[in-house]
Amino acid sequence: MQLISDLELSHLAVDEDWFGADPIPQFQVARARHPWLATSPLGYVVTEYKSIRELFLLDSRMRGNYDEMVEMMGAGGTPWGDFQLGHILNARGDRHKRLRDILAPAFTPRQANRHRQVMRDVMVELLDEWVPKRTFDFEEFASWYPIKVICRMIGSPEEAIPELRDSLEALGRSVSVDLRVLDAMQKGTERLDAYCSELIETRLAMHEPGDDNDLLDVLLAIYVKHELSHAELVNLLTFLLVAGYDTSKNVMTMMMFEMCRNPAVYARCAADLAYCAQAVDEAMRLHGTNNMMRIVMEDIEHRDVLIPAGTTLFFPWAIIGQDPGAIDDPGVFIPDRPNQIRHLGFGLGAHMCLGQHIARAQIAEGIHLIAQRITKPATTGPRGWRPFPGVWGMEGLPIEFVPA
Amino acid sequence: MVKITYVEHDGTPHQVDVAVGRSVMRGAVENDIPGILADCGGACACGTCRVFVAAEFRSVVGGPNAIEEATLEIDDDPRPGKRLACQIPVTGALDGLIVHMPERQF
Repeated sequence: MQLISDLELSHLAVDEDWFGADPIPQFQVARARHPWLATSPLGYVVTEYKSIRELFLLDSRMRGNYDEMVEMMGAGGTPWGDFQLGHILNARGDRHKRLRDILAPAFTPRQANRHRQVMRDVMVELLDEWVPKRTFDFEEFASWYPIKVICRMIGSPEEAIPELRDSLEALGRSVSVDLRVLDAMQKGTERLDAYCSELIETRLAMHEPGDDNDLLDVLLAIYVKHELSHAELVNLLTFLLVAGYDTSKNVMTMMMFEMCRNPAVYARCAADLAYCAQAVDEAMRLHGTNNMMRIVMEDIEHRDVLIPAGTTLFFPWAIIGQDPGAIDDPGVFIPDRPNQIRHLGFGLGAHMCLGQHIARAQIAEGIHLIAQRITKPATTGPRGWRPFPGVWGMEGLPIEFVPA
Repeated sequence: MVKITYVEHDGTPHQVDVAVGRSVMRGAVENDIPGILADCGGACACGTCRVFVAAEFRSVVGGPNAIEEATLEIDDDPRPGKRLACQIPVTGALDGLIVHMPERQF
């Protein structure tokens, strides 16, 4: 048995701005040195798909690193720090199970299907507004879609959306451990707190027992039974907005980038919603959006390596689907490939993305309609990239197209 | 321990011993049975441990609760006996249980 710190490993500079622009070659170099581990400034990076799946069988021996993240940012006792420490991803044990059980009924595949018409309505409205432009930044266009859908799901007034979007953009960097954006995240958190508190108060005034019109009704029904505190309710609502925003937007943007390079796939997505759903999964295999860290709480032994308690592990969910040990032609976009692997874009384990069924439905419905109205899209490529740790993705994707 | 047979979509059977108190999903994952992903680890959230309980065991296993039923709508496979393996606790009464796996879990 070797101690993890005694291994000879490659170093991945995951925290550097340049890393996010082209991480795949860096991972190839790391795997040549060691089949499943590399070092990084943020912890040991698990570089192999199979190892990640195997390590998550021991999920209960790991926890999120939000406490450490807030400390590294020097943000204890601040609005953003309190939000990070209080949200469901940082909850463990009985508290996590209680919150998850409360939310689960609102996030099943059945509920996701129930919201499909809202998703279609929002996308049609957006396309009516944006398609006549013939050229625009796809990331900006896509950013309005999840936020408008979520707002309709919680019965929020439309006029709140622009300010909400700015706050969510800021909070999208929450897991990137980047001091440069701390001030923007603090302001964003304060605005979201105020928005959620007002929304709750307004709705509570008219809430009747048995109301089940939208997601907020579901949460309020639990709140009025005193199974959820006011602070938890505000935090949950804020978290749902944050988690549902830039993940969907970033996946759609990276998917459009792949579609521009694969016109035959794009044409099939316009014609076939089921195929489009496969394309979403394949896009997430190529480029997910989340890269998260975990702290080991009890010693873990994996493939004759001892990972002691206290070790930080970095899980690159976003690109691990391109591990050549897990799939043939890992960098090629083939939605109906015969030996597909399950992407890890929604994570694994007890904290796996709660909104995964809504996200999959939303992106598939959205891209299906986009492909019908925006034909022959072309791009010069992304303007930039978001930090690799946390919520990764393109920063701006200019496209030109022919309106249908 | 009880014996559970997991049958892959192509008909390949895998019979393993599973401890009472585990779930049918854990029995598969801990014995490296292909065809069960269980991405959420048993939280009834991902729908990637779907199985079809063989007809003779359906009354013993029982049906899904409300959350599981809503999660099973992840696909529209109408075959009877569909359950999430993570929601089936292994008891002595399940000795000899046979479950069939779908062609794909996602």
